Amino acid sequence: MPHLFSFVQWLNNTRASVYLRQGDWTFPIIETVHILGLGFSVGIIMWLDLRLLGMAMQDAPVSDVIEQLEPWAIGGFLVMIATGLLLVVSEPMKCYTAVAFRIKLVLLVFAGLNVLYFHRRVINDLDGWDGQVPRRAKMVGALSLILWLGIVIAGRWTAYF
Amino acid sequence: MTFGSFLPLWFFQLCERTWPGSWVRNSQWLFAIVETFHIMALGMLIGTLVIVDLRLLGWGMRRQSAAQLANYLAPWTLFGVGMMVVTGVPMFMSEAIRLAGSGPFFYKMTLLFLALTLHFTLHKKAIASNSGEVSGFSRLAASLSLICWLGVALAGRAIAFI
Repeated sequence: MPHLFSFVQWLNNTRASVYLRQGDWTFPIIETVHILGLGFSVGIIMWLDLRLLGMAMQDAPVSDVIEQLEPWAIGGFLVMIATGLLLVVSEPMKCYTAVAFRIKLVLLVFAGLNVLYFHRRVINDLDGWDGQVPRRAKMVGALSLILWLGIVIAGRWTAYF
Repeated sequence: MTFGSFLPLWFFQLCERTWPGSWVRNSQWLFAIVETFHIMALGMLIGTLVIVDLRLLGWGMRRQSAAQLANYLAPWTLFGVGMMVVTGVPMFMSEAIRLAGSGPFFYKMTLLFLALTLHFTLHKKAIASNSGEVSGFSRLAASLSLICWLGVALAGRAIAFI
């Protein structure tokens, strides 16, 4: 992928990238906020998924749980995206060469499609569920759990190898 | 302040010589694997705390009582803490001598102690007395709890950098 590689090289030499890479505190601060965002949003997403699977908070209606927790999960996700982009800017070369990072991006796309499918096709008859969560919704929950576990593992792996 | 300033060096040397310590230290992969589990447990743990605390603050899950939520989530909070400890102890043992001199590690443990104490006293009381209305007391308990756990996470991350 020559175009992507020249973009990565260009990004690596931008002032922003050099600044983020050379600062003593920039990377640790951004990474810390990234992990806090992770705890916040993945933590909440996980409990939404477990609710869909009927494994947690069963006496709270699914609609309640989704309506009330999804905004917080999205907020945490935006923090992760913002800090994640800064991490990529700070070390584009590493992200380009790390296989784990490519896996992470693919998993993120799947997680996004999963949420999209949930909102387009699954959630519209939410009120009719009456305690019985349809199989499609359970599938979404299980997939989301697996994908996010994968994203966390691949993310951690990007830092190490 | 560090643990090394009041605990004898031989204690940390002993920790590094135990089999979990030397195993994690001498393996190329093990620290990374254990740390990955530590972070997954962190996500789960923070999730359980945030959901209950949002309720106590009146910012989310208002249609359920805090007691109802805690009923489901409290066992998972403990499970999360347990998993953090199970993964955290071998990581500590693998580099005990370095951590003996680490300020962030000392503050992390202090904040963890504080967070757990709060969790079983003030926080528990706030959940039990929260009948649906959000009170100043429940707000205080939730804020203190969130701040302490945030501090644990911040200090924890700082261990790797400082």
